[in-house]
Amino acid sequence: MSPIPTVGSVYVPSPARVAKVKALTVMEKLFTIELPWGQSLGHQPGQFVEVSLFGIGEAPISISSSPSRSNGVFELCVRKVGDVTGALHGLEEGATIGVRGPMGTGFPVEKFRGKDILFAPGGLGLAPARSLINQVLDERGSFGRVMILYGARNPAELLFKDELEAWRQRSDVEFLVTVDRSDESWTGNVGVITTLFKHVVVNPRNTVAVTIGPPVMYRFVLMELLGKGIPERQIWMSLERRMKCGVGKCGHCQINNLYCCQQGPAFNYAQIKGVEEAI
Amino acid sequence: MIGDLMKPKVAFFDFTSCEGCQLTVVDSLQTHVDLLDAVEIVQFREAMTEKGEDYAIAFVEGSISRASDEARLRRIREQAAIVVALGACAHLGGINAIRNAQPLDDVRKYVYGDKADWYETYPARPISAVVKVDAVIPGCPIDRDEFIGVVKALLLGKKPPLPDYPVCVECKRKENVCVFHKGGFCLGPVIRAGCGAICPTCGDGCEGCRGLIPNPNQDSMSDVLVKYGLTVADMLARWTMFGTYQQMEAGS
Amino acid sequence: MSLRMIDKGSMAAFVSNLLQAYEVVGPRAKDSQYAFGRITDYDQLRLDYNTTILPPKKYLLPQEEVLFTFQTEGMSAAPVFDTRPRVIFGVHTCDIHALHLLDAVFATGQRDEHYLERRAATLIVGIECLTPCDEHSFCKSMGTLSASEGFDLHLTDLGDRYAVEVGTPAGEALLARYAANHGAGESEVGLLDKMLSEKWPRFSYRLDFDGNELPALMAVSYKNPIWKELEGRCLACGSCNLVCPTCYCFDVQDRVSMDRKTGERIRVWDSCQLAEFARVGSGENFRKTRAERQRHRFFRKGKYIPDMHGELGCVGCGRCARACLVDITPVGVWNALHKAHTA
Ligand SMILES: Cc1cc2nc3c(=O)[nH]c(=O)nc-3n(C[C@H](O)[C@H](O)[C@H](O)COP(=O)(O)OP(=O)(O)OC[C@H]3O[C@@H](n4cnc5c(N)ncnc54)[C@H](O)[C@@H]3O)c2cc1C
Ligand code: SF4
Ligand code: SF4
Ligand code: SF4
Ligand code: SF4
Ligand code: SF4
Ligand code: FES
Repeated sequence: MSPIPTVGSVYVPSPARVAKVKALTVMEKLFTIELPWGQSLGHQPGQFVEVSLFGIGEAPISISSSPSRSNGVFELCVRKVGDVTGALHGLEEGATIGVRGPMGTGFPVEKFRGKDILFAPGGLGLAPARSLINQVLDERGSFGRVMILYGARNPAELLFKDELEAWRQRSDVEFLVTVDRSDESWTGNVGVITTLFKHVVVNPRNTVAVTIGPPVMYRFVLMELLGKGIPERQIWMSLERRMKCGVGKCGHCQINNLYCCQQGPAFNYAQIKGVEEAI
Repeated sequence: MIGDLMKPKVAFFDFTSCEGCQLTVVDSLQTHVDLLDAVEIVQFREAMTEKGEDYAIAFVEGSISRASDEARLRRIREQAAIVVALGACAHLGGINAIRNAQPLDDVRKYVYGDKADWYETYPARPISAVVKVDAVIPGCPIDRDEFIGVVKALLLGKKPPLPDYPVCVECKRKENVCVFHKGGFCLGPVIRAGCGAICPTCGDGCEGCRGLIPNPNQDSMSDVLVKYGLTVADMLARWTMFGTYQQMEAGS
Repeated sequence: MSLRMIDKGSMAAFVSNLLQAYEVVGPRAKDSQYAFGRITDYDQLRLDYNTTILPPKKYLLPQEEVLFTFQTEGMSAAPVFDTRPRVIFGVHTCDIHALHLLDAVFATGQRDEHYLERRAATLIVGIECLTPCDEHSFCKSMGTLSASEGFDLHLTDLGDRYAVEVGTPAGEALLARYAANHGAGESEVGLLDKMLSEKWPRFSYRLDFDGNELPALMAVSYKNPIWKELEGRCLACGSCNLVCPTCYCFDVQDRVSMDRKTGERIRVWDSCQLAEFARVGSGENFRKTRAERQRHRFFRKGKYIPDMHGELGCVGCGRCARACLVDITPVGVWNALHKAHTA
């Protein structure tokens, strides 16, 4: 059950405070959200919340912070694309928003313990992936190798630059990053995310892959992961769909018979392989 | 973006039109007096004589049918942060565009008789053919509630609502008996909703004053009109009532 | 449960008694067709109706409903529930089945109290169809030509009286309190049996197969060329969804006051046939073509819903077929799929 009271209706959000706003890029801002009375959200990595601004509307946003770092707040990384996300970008610290959640099914972290984990987020996909990455890093001892392959369109669009730098410097993390198009400041890899896969050698049986990105990316990344022999059930994704309710009623998020807001947004490839509309 | 967010200045302008849409605005001001607490009207020929030039939102009625209209419209565009096309003439060229399908000289003679050469005129065009338009309020005339809705959205910094689904949706929500079931004809399945399906609700077929939805299946709609008994010529005539400019653009 | 009788002469009093305690809605004439509407006088009630443009679903999931009201300052909100006691009078058995399905949908997983609160305040008085409503219905194929549950009371016209089957204790109380009625004598039971058995052959199976085979048929029909064929005809007008008693997809919107301080969040009926139904903020549209959307519609009715709720997602009421200007019908589509599969 959700720790946020729903006042008799699953559609009514609870007020929450914007404790901090930080611009990550021109398009993305990171919001630190505080629930009333120091409640913790109690989420799983991969879950999302429905964020409301009354009068503007509601939008599903992945929880970007790790449950291991909750202490009464959680983080949302929001790209400005329209009404709700645009209005969120206009908010200042101390503002009030409405929140419902956590919603959906996240990644089964417990099943990942003891395994090597290969993260392959693209673009904004790092926002939800970061929740799991940071949990794994905070509980580093209970996981095997940690590999992070991250791709962005250009250097200016790289998210969480401080954290990327920290990951790069850790000896217990294998970190690679690439951009589709470089600029004069960039000295690293250039090319789409799939060009990074040749640099990692994995034990497919013991590896869990977590890839999150736009639909086009999945087709190519999946080929790489399957090509490395990683079993279908160990390849995890997060799918984006239009969502109007988040509670399995409005029908907008349906992927054939699956409700993305209920059975997902996190799915393993075995679950969605035969589902024609999935990827 | 629109200056004083609390109370932006707005102005109304008209080009070739019947001014029916502006009358609807005047009407809305009567039923929504609080509108005047939310915005400051600095120019509105229909309702006042003063003329303020520092407007942030311009509502433009009418189609562009003369070269001299263009310069005036461009000046409006330069001043206003937001330009809204008000009504079918500004949005689609409106009824004025029917003449586009005929040779211009004939139109001029028909309308102005032997004084035809005195008037400069060219095919009627929507204002979007001349300047960038930020929002449209379709309809002939516009729908009062939709006008209010657009003003509210602009005040909230939201994109103004513009339904992308057809009139049938609103018609069915109202549980109307379908005009086709009463022996009439209706363009509702391919015309943009937002009017509350007012014509079918009154028992008349939709004439398409709000323009086509994105990706309309016009071929199938034409088949329906003919299947229900229209001649091909009548069917084609229905498409031109409000659709001439859109049709000709699509065809060119 | 038990069987009671109401003489037709007592019906007007029954309805006017109900009006003291309930809002009564039922089929009324609308132009040449019928629509459920508020009944304030027994004469308005047209129990002889064939079918209605919209199903009685609109009293449980209205075309437009306020979910909650809000104040933008402080983001405070108060949910809105409609708990007005209401009797839906004269519901045909296809619609009874449809409501039964919706009850399951809104109670499964996270409960939708807006629907469920309304439902709890609603009593359903059904009425048996003795002849097919029109050429579009195919209730017999879908197993909805009769109903053994899902109503509080259920009427069958026996000529000068109605046989009333009592479905729930609430229905029993309603009858006891508001209607002059009597127990069914042996001859009345016999007459009812005769009416019901004689009605059966008047209806035809319009599907070439048993409706219960639909999920299996759909399972092998995903790649059938028929979806492409529908692409050319379908207008993407949404009418088929909007008139369907088992469709429940909705859109959510905010409405604000002019000073933007207060407002309400509403939900409105939506349709998966509309072009933008599955478009996301980043621009991707996951069901771009009319073919994909038609396939989704028919899969929802024939497979997804039955897989999830154990009941078919179509009750054979024929409303979508009546509404579709290009004659896309479940009977046509499903028989074509069946033919393709058995050929
Ligand atoms: C599970 C999940 C997790 C997500 N996580 C994140 C996250 O962590 N961070 C994040 O930034 N986003 C995330 N998203 C995406 C986010 O929900 C959307 O970007 C958001 O809903 C957009 O809402 P909006 O009101 O800002 O945009 P809208 O105003 O609704 O529209 C955005 C854009 O889409 C276009 N558009 C919208 N509707 C239509 C239409 N009908 N026809 C044509 N174009 C249209 C508009 O032109 C506009 O440019 C997630 C989505 C899901 C489903
Ligand atoms: S009357 Fe027109 S708008 Fe209404 S359902 Fe029929 S075709 Fe559609
Ligand atoms: S029904 Fe059609 S013609 Fe009538 S107002 Fe609406 S769009 Fe215009
Ligand atoms: S009613 Fe007919 S034309 Fe309209 S969306 Fe449905 S199938 Fe297509
Ligand atoms: S799909 Fe058509 S026939 Fe089936 S329940 Fe819906 S409206 Fe009735
Ligand atoms: S579909 Fe069958 S049960 Fe429904 S109204 Fe028609 S005849 Fe009656
Ligand atoms: S978002 Fe409404 S059903 Fe999933």
